[in-house]
Amino acid sequence: MNLNLNLKMNLEDKEIGIPTERTLKILKKASERAKAEVEKNLKSLAEREDYSPQFDYFMKLCGGEQTPEAIERRTGRSAARLLCIQAPIELIHAAGFHPYKIASGSQAMTSLAAHGLPALMCPMIRAVIGAVLESGPGSGTSPVTSPWILPTTCDWVAKFPEMLRSFGVENRIHWMELPHLKDGDAGQARWLEEVFGLKKFLETSGAKIGRKSLADSVRIYDDAWRALNRLAKMRREERIANVWFMLIAGSFFLDSPERWTEAALSIAPSSAPPSGPGRARVFLAGSPIFFPNFKLLHLLEDTGITVAADDLCSGERVFPGAVACKDTSEFGIISALAQRYHQGCLCPTFIDNDRRVNGILCEKRTAGLRGVVFHVLKGCHPYDLESLGIERILKERGLRFLRIETDYASEDSQNLRTRLEAYRRTFGGERDEL
Amino acid sequence: MRGIRAMRAIKVWKIRSLVQHAGFIVMMYGGRFGVHLGSAIPCFACPFVPGCGGYCYLMGLQGYIGFGMSAVAAGGVGLLAALGWFALFAMLVALLGKLWCGWVCPFGLIQDWLSALRRAFGVRERTIPRNTARRLTRVKYLLLSGIVVIPPLATAGILHEDFYLPFCNICPGKSILPLFAGEARYLALNLDNRVTLGFSIALLAITGVMLVGMFFRDRFFCVFCPFLALIHLLKPITLLGLTKEPESCIGCGNCRRVCPMAIEAVYKERVSRDVQGDACLDCASCVEACPSDFALSINFSKLRLFRSSRDYVAELKGKFGR
Repeated sequence: MNLNLNLKMNLEDKEIGIPTERTLKILKKASERAKAEVEKNLKSLAEREDYSPQFDYFMKLCGGEQTPEAIERRTGRSAARLLCIQAPIELIHAAGFHPYKIASGSQAMTSLAAHGLPALMCPMIRAVIGAVLESGPGSGTSPVTSPWILPTTCDWVAKFPEMLRSFGVENRIHWMELPHLKDGDAGQARWLEEVFGLKKFLETSGAKIGRKSLADSVRIYDDAWRALNRLAKMRREERIANVWFMLIAGSFFLDSPERWTEAALSIAPSSAPPSGPGRARVFLAGSPIFFPNFKLLHLLEDTGITVAADDLCSGERVFPGAVACKDTSEFGIISALAQRYHQGCLCPTFIDNDRRVNGILCEKRTAGLRGVVFHVLKGCHPYDLESLGIERILKERGLRFLRIETDYASEDSQNLRTRLEAYRRTFGGERDEL
Repeated sequence: MRGIRAMRAIKVWKIRSLVQHAGFIVMMYGGRFGVHLGSAIPCFACPFVPGCGGYCYLMGLQGYIGFGMSAVAAGGVGLLAALGWFALFAMLVALLGKLWCGWVCPFGLIQDWLSALRRAFGVRERTIPRNTARRLTRVKYLLLSGIVVIPPLATAGILHEDFYLPFCNICPGKSILPLFAGEARYLALNLDNRVTLGFSIALLAITGVMLVGMFFRDRFFCVFCPFLALIHLLKPITLLGLTKEPESCIGCGNCRRVCPMAIEAVYKERVSRDVQGDACLDCASCVEACPSDFALSINFSKLRLFRSSRDYVAELKGKFGR
């Protein structure tokens, strides 16, 4: 842990730059708690019946250090930090950076960033702020070499740097204004401008983004998408547990995409799953789920509910992939990327997002799903609001819908378990053997 | 369905390229090894190519098997022959629809070669502004009406006799395709009279514009091709076509990006299953690039020939729209 930081723990500590003894103590405690949280979760994964050493690589990534410095050491590239998947990662990669989406599921980290922030707040952003404070990005070289690339998706992202600043942490930020109407020409033209703006920004580092490097990056991430799709297919056939799938998807940004792809491709499917009527195969929709906060995933599994597909931006949508591009000129690739990351994105931050539900209905047919569990992180308003319309459509199509609103705290586990068990019973049949 | 799944390992764009090249050989050189498929071919099997393997129906429609004055002049027999040829043409269209355009047409293949050349050079594809594009879609219908109206006027003596075959006289197929059989004479100015001179100057200009256009824009000539208009008019009897399940579309936009004709309607459609517009070539690029398991398919009547799927896209390994 880096304690040599330019950190003001709360508003009472006037002497910016000199951490007080109290500050250090809080930091140390939170850091220890976070470490214990990760270790506990890794241990429970390692004790699973379907654990095999092939998952070690991904467990190590998710449980290991995730500071920009660590990422830079691992990938040999300067890290470019993201909070969302709207900035085309291929473009960032083509400029010689390693695009790296910071996400934290750590409960200990949320408590670290408790002071001076809204009480009802996206726990993911709160945990990221906590993690930033803990690792001390205000020091050393990281603000210079690892910029944040922030498309203005939800309000939490938009105000994220401001919140960090209230803790005395300044960062180098490149904003991308995200048009929230994605289907119109004006929005798409505007976004293309922003993507070219990003290219210009990335090239200030001295790198030159050309047709060749772009095509290479598109190929690398296309390979990764193929590997992810293979795993998604295995999960649909219940040849890999949802928990493992989420762990693997969640580790995507933590190492070079080539190495991740290789490891993901080497995962062997487990033996054939149990089958029969009355099985609760569901789609998991809603807010993202990050390690180590796999609370809901474990509860789903424990209550006999099988997640066969998802559209979380931490799961199958961890990056868009499948960027079809017939115009392979530099402009052609960049504009294809811009479109794929904008109009092709199913994030509820978009206003005209009516096609999102189609993905779920498709999976209903492909994977034979019977229900949808909609996960809402407390404070994640876009998903919360979008669940209303989606619930109506899905129920009309005969899917059982369950909305789960929770955060990183474990206190509501028993409550959730009861609700999930009741939901499970609506499917009829025997409980699946686990 | 099972059969389709087994076919997934085969890449549709590869088959298409193979069929296109086979079509090119048959249409361009068929006559040299005794193949002639008649006068009702629904693509540019150009009669001006020495030793070609069939005649483009547009040529026949203007000329000796058309419905114009020549058929009337020949009496009932001529009209009957014209009807017969049309019936054959309509049958070929009913069976294969626009596969003739996307999969067989030799002039289409030449355009695809030029596109490949552009890609090899890394040159950016130019787009036609939407309003201009909308206006340009009317040109093919105008040309088609010219094909039907002008030859009878020439036969009746109202127009100069060299207005016979008006479309062929300005068709870049006539200037470019014969080059592949060693025939360059249609690039020369025809000094017979003022009409032929006018036509040959127009042809040269159109050829030049088209060559440039086809290099910078996929299937640029197809925007103006009267065949697209004529085949589209026969849509009610056409069995083969593109359909979309709007409720399965996740809106990624891949279909729009890979379409050689830059069609937006397939992406935008939110209600109707029928997305076969007048510009569509049935090339199936959009179906290949669509990562949704049910959204797009090419059908023969009720039989689904090829359906979009995420696994197919994954196996494409980035080879889109070739």
